Amino acid sequence: MSFRFNQENTIKIASLLNRYPQKKALILPLLWLAQKQEGFISDAAMKNISEFLELPLMHVYSVASFYTMFRFAKNEKKVIEVCRTLSCELNGSEDIKKYIQSNYSDRFEIVEVECMGACSGAPMCTLEGKYFENVTPQKIDKVFNDN
Amino acid sequence: MITKIVSKNFEILNSHTMAVALENGRYASLENLFLQKPREIIDTISQSGLRGKGGGGAHAGSKWQLAADTQGTKYLVVNADESEPGTFKDRQILSKDPHLLIEGIICTCYAIGSHISYIYVRGEYEEFSDILQSAIDEAYEKNIIGSGAQYPLDITVHRGGGAYICGEKSALLESLEGNRGHPRLKPHTPQAESYFGEPALVNNVETIASVPFIVENGAEAYRAYGTEKSPGTLLFALSGHVEKPGVYEAEFGLGMWEYIHTLGGGVKNGKMLKAVIPGGASTPILPAHLVQEAKLDYESLKSLGTELGTGGMILLDEDASMVKALKNLLRFYHHESCGQCTPCREGTSWVDKTLDKFIAKTATTEDLKILKSVSKSMNGKTICVFAPAASGVINGFLKHFENEFLECIQ
Ligand SMILES: Cc1cc2nc3c(=O)[nH]c(=O)nc-3n(C[C@H](O)[C@H](O)[C@H](O)COP(=O)(O)O)c2cc1C
Ligand code: SF4
Ligand code: FES
Repeated sequence: MSFRFNQENTIKIASLLNRYPQKKALILPLLWLAQKQEGFISDAAMKNISEFLELPLMHVYSVASFYTMFRFAKNEKKVIEVCRTLSCELNGSEDIKKYIQSNYSDRFEIVEVECMGACSGAPMCTLEGKYFENVTPQKIDKVFNDN
Repeated sequence: MITKIVSKNFEILNSHTMAVALENGRYASLENLFLQKPREIIDTISQSGLRGKGGGGAHAGSKWQLAADTQGTKYLVVNADESEPGTFKDRQILSKDPHLLIEGIICTCYAIGSHISYIYVRGEYEEFSDILQSAIDEAYEKNIIGSGAQYPLDITVHRGGGAYICGEKSALLESLEGNRGHPRLKPHTPQAESYFGEPALVNNVETIASVPFIVENGAEAYRAYGTEKSPGTLLFALSGHVEKPGVYEAEFGLGMWEYIHTLGGGVKNGKMLKAVIPGGASTPILPAHLVQEAKLDYESLKSLGTELGTGGMILLDEDASMVKALKNLLRFYHHESCGQCTPCREGTSWVDKTLDKFIAKTATTEDLKILKSVSKSMNGKTICVFAPAASGVINGFLKHFENEFLECIQ
């Protein structure tokens, strides 16, 4: 498998190059563009990034794997994240997690995450990165069944 | 009781767009800005007593001076990593008034002599950083920033990849350079932070968003709010067991209980308060009787053995289990340790596992000793203050609620 950035991303990358004093700073922006383009970060994409930035492949891999938001395999299912940190737990996130797990685990991949900066809307979850706050089983049914 | 300086435009419809922002006073401070010399702006910020709102409360003026005095190409890096549990204030600025942030960046860059600014936004905030990006695009179109602006300046949004530790300023700069987000060893003498070897100023979103008010109205106008040592306002926030969770800007120095009661509507479902974690998950817990005494400023909270932190208060009601709450926080620390220092990497893992025994009510007196000694070993000899903060959290729970832990011992 090979990887090339599409034309739209290639244009974006050209303008990003002017924004940083060293090319190396582009690792995170390029990883994001690659993940957007393919839905995950393939070995070929990392190789492409390492060649473009003239950095060892190991460096790109070590950086990419440090962060929790990069995926290294294609997701067959859409991702639901459920916050489990204190403000959400105090407002019933464990019950929400159980509800989602027992009703939606066949269609979605369910991941527990730490505080998402939405504590006033606890309990909260996301669907494909979009925030849903003050969730209840009813609200979950409504949102997830539309997707 | 609400005092709106930073949150003035939050409720205005479409305040994130240029047209509405301009109608509501955004970019008005620039006129005053360019009438003054950069030095004078730094002096004004110093006199205003503005303190960093990212958790540490450092004096902004001194940091700016240090960056201005350091030779080299200067960078302003805005910290929008906001990942401290219980903290969700910067997000309000990014999505409801991004032009206020841009205006603050222009003022700050002018003062320290920087023409390049990055806003490092936590990866999860994609929806909100998209709003910020459109505001930046609009500012470029209007030549408010860019090469054609009165003060040439580039602003770039840099999206994080999901890692709490990248909120620590040196880890953030490492991440921004294209490395893993590992905190750096601190120099012994005060120095400007560095980005690829050049001087960098790192400030929190809300700190920068407070600047236009001061530039426009002067230091005294800011000092008219708050206390002598904690001047101005903060976007304090409430979550957990509270009736009306949210972000409510207020002057420093208000009574904590008064704030919770008046703005937050008190404890959820009319229950009694057991405790408050005052300023994000990393600040030691305050039991209810101390909440009555506490004032919302740096000095008062310090005297009560805790910290103001980010001002994000988490309430726990009379039925909350302190063992369960501590377990929740230690799981967070274990998950988020960057792993560079042994006391932190091993310690957070150990206390997290030890707490499981308390939850299962199978703990022994030995386990309580372990908890205390591991906590002690985490407080010292680490590269950043993440591990000492975790230690402070454990000590706070044990100091005020040890009886609940003793009840879990076989
Ligand atoms: C573990 C850790 C996490 C931090 N997270 C953040 C954060 O998410 N946002 C922030 O502004 N500051 C955070 N800080 C504080 C920064 O290191 C830094 O002090 C701050 O961004 C400086 O800006 P200020 O002086 O305007 O507050 C964190 C510090 C530590 C030790
Ligand atoms: S104290 Fe913990 S988070 Fe901080 S540098 Fe050391 S291992 Fe990393
Ligand atoms: S604790 Fe869940 S969003 Fe903050």
